[in-house]
Amino acid sequence: MQAAQAGDKVAYASLLREILPLLRAMVRRTCRDPQDVDDVVQEVLLSLHAVRHTYDPARPFLPWLLTIARRRATDAIRRTSSRSAHETAVDVVPETFSGPEPKIEQDSSDDRAAIEDALAGLTRGQREAVELLKVQGLSLKEAAALTGKSVSALKINVHRALQALRRSLMTKT
Amino acid sequence: MRPEDLIDALAADAKPVRRLASPMVRLLLWLVLSAGYAALIVWAMGPRPDIQSRLADARFVVELGAVFMTSVLAAAAAFCAGCPGRPVWERFAPLPALALWIGSLGEGCWRSLVQAGAPGLQLQWDVVCFPSILLASIGPGALILMMIRQGAPVAPVATTALAALAAAALGATALRLFHAQDASVMVLVWQFGSVAVLAGLGALTGRRILPWPEAQIATQPAQQSGAGSR
Repeated sequence: MQAAQAGDKVAYASLLREILPLLRAMVRRTCRDPQDVDDVVQEVLLSLHAVRHTYDPARPFLPWLLTIARRRATDAIRRTSSRSAHETAVDVVPETFSGPEPKIEQDSSDDRAAIEDALAGLTRGQREAVELLKVQGLSLKEAAALTGKSVSALKINVHRALQALRRSLMTKT
Repeated sequence: MRPEDLIDALAADAKPVRRLASPMVRLLLWLVLSAGYAALIVWAMGPRPDIQSRLADARFVVELGAVFMTSVLAAAAAFCAGCPGRPVWERFAPLPALALWIGSLGEGCWRSLVQAGAPGLQLQWDVVCFPSILLASIGPGALILMMIRQGAPVAPVATTALAALAAAALGATALRLFHAQDASVMVLVWQFGSVAVLAGLGALTGRRILPWPEAQIATQPAQQSGAGSR
């Protein structure tokens, strides 16, 4: 490591190759998903590289290495866990719905005439709220500014409109 | 990219680096510059009129010594915490001095209670303490922050808490020399309290202040190896 700090590229590459199995074993012990092991190992290697000036040749190398490796592995795993709490990994993106009920709702919503009928059954305010918020994609604030209605009135309108649309489309199927 | 390819890229990028100076060398540098700043603040604010007699009082000297040693040991611990692989106990180095400081203030409170009863522990509003400690510790704080960022953030929360404690305790040392407030309960609440708040703020901002440095590497070797595998 001392030679690597002095810029000896060969010594540095040799050292990193030598510690690679140790890092892999350490990360494998803490990492839940084996697919993440190489990513975490690379993160540890990048961190070692970024702080290689902090190694003191008067002190043993292994505690220096393992402190950085443990810290970075823990950080990476914490990040992965927090990400996976909000995401679901899938091999193939599903093309349809899992249950029969939403599938029926989806099929019926594909029927243009049924949708037009359902929309015709809405009040003027409900139709306006759906068109601005769900079709044009305006924010509640923008829609409120455009219509002169309050944000809560728009929320109620759109909520009731969606309930009415769902009821209407379900009865037609 | 596989770790083996990354190793090639890192090795190709391995320029000579300037080794981080030892914690003791950095402590000495920080202490000289920060003590100079604190002395300047004491001079600018004007030393307290009774400074001669206070420095002849053993209790005052013990308390002053304890708060100054808290600062020195906290700074040493902060510098050590930024060096990976050093023993964890070093991070607790300021605790004895901190205990002596709290103990001397506690003894002062007890003495006031025995001598004057409950009125001896009466707390008054002393708004000068917090801004004065902040003023006296801002220079040492900025300097130690700059210095700990050169280390590795293996314990960011502990490092910034210790650094903030070092700067704030040095500020409190200076305050004792220019602010004539000796009631132990007042010192405990306003001065020790200010130091504790600043150290707490340091701990809370640790991860933001000390992010991991990004490794700047040239990607060329990796691209070459990738092209070769195709």
